[in-house]
Amino acid sequence: MAMAALRREGRRFAPLISPQPITAAVRSSLIQQEQAPLGVRSISTQIIRNRMKSVKNIQKITKAMKMVAASKLRAIQTRAENSRGLWQPFTALLGDTPSVDVKKNVIVTISSDKGLCGGINSTSVKTSKALFKLTSGPDKETKYVLVGEKAKAQLVRDSRKHIDISITGLQKNPLNYTQVSVLADDILKNVEYDALRVVFNKFRSVISFIPTTATVLSPEIVEREAESGGRLGDLDSYEIEGGETKSEILQNLTEYQFSCVLFNAVLENACSEQGARMSAMDSSSRNAGEVLDRLTLTYNRTRQASITTELIEIISGAAALEG
Amino acid sequence: MASSTAAVPFWRAAGMTYITYSNICANLVRNCLKEPHKTEALTREKVHFSLSKWTDGKPQRPTLRSDTPED
Repeated sequence: MAMAALRREGRRFAPLISPQPITAAVRSSLIQQEQAPLGVRSISTQIIRNRMKSVKNIQKITKAMKMVAASKLRAIQTRAENSRGLWQPFTALLGDTPSVDVKKNVIVTISSDKGLCGGINSTSVKTSKALFKLTSGPDKETKYVLVGEKAKAQLVRDSRKHIDISITGLQKNPLNYTQVSVLADDILKNVEYDALRVVFNKFRSVISFIPTTATVLSPEIVEREAESGGRLGDLDSYEIEGGETKSEILQNLTEYQFSCVLFNAVLENACSEQGARMSAMDSSSRNAGEVLDRLTLTYNRTRQASITTELIEIISGAAALEG
Repeated sequence: MASSTAAVPFWRAAGMTYITYSNICANLVRNCLKEPHKTEALTREKVHFSLSKWTDGKPQRPTLRSDTPED
């Protein structure tokens, strides 16, 4: 008997205990009627109303994030486009040789620190992994240098043995050349390389990014390639001014090339990140709108049904009294 | 290094790379600007990142390179 009473009590308190926002607690007396589990026929609309409220809030947040991404994108896009002028002379002089076959490869994967920006981080990680497979082999060594939190999170699962350096927190201040060059310097000092392969998302438009690799060869490899002819064979036709030797010049060039390529890569990737975030947030706020529409429909239909039921009850009750 | 036989530039003898050298030069040029462009150029170039080396698949303690003090 006591158990039954307890059970009844428990049932009555169930809506209070169940996890619901503060508004629910305030209007608990109302809810108890609405959500009364026993003997009452009206259908609860409270859950749907809460759900609608949360979806609406999420939609507000995603809309705001989209706005923020759009304004950040505009600021960074011009800088990224201007920075392309930095690496173009190097490509004109040294060419881009992604297919070069060397012993020590270093893959520099550029990713973002923050999430909610679509698939740009996984594309650069995927490209890096493919590049890793291409460049690894017997008596070869390939290492990762990871820029950004997200590439680290993705690569730590299956390639943690090959990670050499990881860099985070680059985007706390607006990106600038000094910062990136100090970073490039740190990378160069800490890795041994024959070829550095920078993987990043090149910005083409707000909805389109191209996973790109830029290759920076070490001075020794440049000389080796130059001797074997090809695109780099023209290098000998340049006159060298001053008292420096060709290998010194090449050493300086390589270092400077890497910092320029890295600067452009970081900017392009940041630009792509904002673009991707913009479109991701756009589609998620559209999605939230659709969910909200469906919920509103269900809510109204349920409300209508309960009103109809109540009316029928009243009318038929009155008719029974009359009759 | 192959270049060690020739006359090494003084900055490379001091253990700098070309990037460090060019950065120091760039900073000198920035310091030659007149106000208000000088402060603008100097505040723009802020360095901030943290770098951690990995050994045996484990990240080591990250080292922070930052111009701004940590708040």
